[in-house]
Amino acid sequence: MRARLPRIGLYATLIAVLVIAAFPFWWMLDESLKQPVDIFSGVTLYPHHPTLTNYSQLFNSYHFGAYLENSILIVTMTVAISLVLGTLAAYSLARFNLRFGLNQSSLVVALLVRMIPGILLVIPLYLMLAKWGLLNTRIGLVIIYTGINTSFVIWMMQSFLAEIPRDIEEAAMVDGDSRLSALRRVVLPLAAPGLAATAIFSVIATYNDFLIALSLTSTPAAQTVPVGVSTLIGKIQIQIGPMAAAGVIGALPIVIFALIVQRHFVRGLTLGAVK
Amino acid sequence: MAQATVKRRRVRAARAQLPGGPYLLLVPALVALALVSLYPLYYGIRASVTHYLYGRDFGSAGLENYRRVYHDPYFHQAMWTTGKYVLVVVTCETVLGLGLALLVSREIRFASPIRVGLILPMTIAPVVVGVMWRLMYDSGIGVTDPLFQAFGFKAPEVLASNTSAFIGVCIVDIWEWTPLIFLIVLAGLQSLPQEPLEAARVDGAGRVRLFFDHTLPLLAPVLLVAIVLRTIDAIGTFDQIYVLTGGGPGVSTQLISIYAYNTAFLFSQYGLAAAMLISLLAMVMLLMIAAVRLMKRVAV
Repeated sequence: MRARLPRIGLYATLIAVLVIAAFPFWWMLDESLKQPVDIFSGVTLYPHHPTLTNYSQLFNSYHFGAYLENSILIVTMTVAISLVLGTLAAYSLARFNLRFGLNQSSLVVALLVRMIPGILLVIPLYLMLAKWGLLNTRIGLVIIYTGINTSFVIWMMQSFLAEIPRDIEEAAMVDGDSRLSALRRVVLPLAAPGLAATAIFSVIATYNDFLIALSLTSTPAAQTVPVGVSTLIGKIQIQIGPMAAAGVIGALPIVIFALIVQRHFVRGLTLGAVK
Repeated sequence: MAQATVKRRRVRAARAQLPGGPYLLLVPALVALALVSLYPLYYGIRASVTHYLYGRDFGSAGLENYRRVYHDPYFHQAMWTTGKYVLVVVTCETVLGLGLALLVSREIRFASPIRVGLILPMTIAPVVVGVMWRLMYDSGIGVTDPLFQAFGFKAPEVLASNTSAFIGVCIVDIWEWTPLIFLIVLAGLQSLPQEPLEAARVDGAGRVRLFFDHTLPLLAPVLLVAIVLRTIDAIGTFDQIYVLTGGGPGVSTQLISIYAYNTAFLFSQYGLAAAMLISLLAMVMLLMIAAVRLMKRVAV
């Protein structure tokens, strides 16, 4: 009986924390499904007259179709390219003793990219892209995001690949595989959980980025979902419903993604710090 | 037989490529990395000693930009606000994250869904988090004012006054990023060696003694990594503040990133903004070096 009471306290605390973590999401979903008249009639736990008008308004008059398209294209291209570049580099770092202290210094630069506050990068990047005529283009964003993501991929994949014994790929090479086909056929399948975690981190970091997209784009031709969400801010006093709906749309792809990849999710979130 | 020779030759060919091979694999990634780190850094330093007028490059300015930045009271204000902000949020997140991790690390039911629920806030775009809390703080439709009134307090109108706006943006940060510390510490707790803890427990150490004398010292390196990671990210906080207050009311929530952003993109003073950020980077670097030193000492 004495052990019972602390148990109850433990679960009560956990439930309270869970409510604090989840309530804002539920409340925003609730607001987004309300009709304009109901929004001002006080806090409710669910929408009494649910409607999708806020959402249709987003797509019809606030370009959310374009934002979503940009985000999905940019995230897909960025993650695909940086996974290839970063994994090849990580393999090279994990398997070979390179000259000029490249093994150490590459990792330090990769970590540096992770550490530099985004605002430090944005002004030089803006001036660079302006010079190359790539401001407000999807391709400009893909280039920048690929560079940033490659640093995560190198950092994480290097440690995952180092854990895989060399003997396995050497056996494959004796059987006639080249280095690269041994990497593709033998090593990568073994590193699949690490690759999944890396991909998850890259998808979330790229989709959620705001500052870089905000500074380097200016129209729905290249603006991403987070920037689209922020364009509604000026209209907050009159457009609460659409703003809540925009928040839901901004969050939804990541929540769905998180549910699909649940198994590797935790590892991915902490940049490999948690294995 | 002939095929076998061909195969063997191919193996030899693959081996023969190796001297250049590893570098070829590395180069494309290093170019991509340099493009977003070394090149912008060089470009940023150059911009910080360049004179810009209406966004146009008007030649070298020497150290004029730095001089102006150091005499700018708003820069001092922004640095002070950023320091306060980082101190408050990282302290709260560390204490809460550590506490939560200790709770969840014990054997409980539904551990997995509870864990996913707890880390939900950190997976969502900070902009969306900002929008969400801005609506919750709103006095017309939000949650905070009715909540305070329900307990008989005055409606705080969080984002309308200096102090409450600062506390308000801190709460948002704590809500969003406590999960990161929680996750890292939880992983650290699960990989702790069990023997010394068991031994102490057998010797009759109480729960509090056990934590401060045994768990905490063993956990120190992991905790430090989490704190350093969070501190560096918190210094660069931009997204939520931009959406929540834009730095206001007045300059009460104007962090250095917001001030630099406005200087560059609102007033086209790229040189001044670059000088601010290079100074900030120098400080972050010093902090990182100190942190690495400290980590080495704790790890030993």
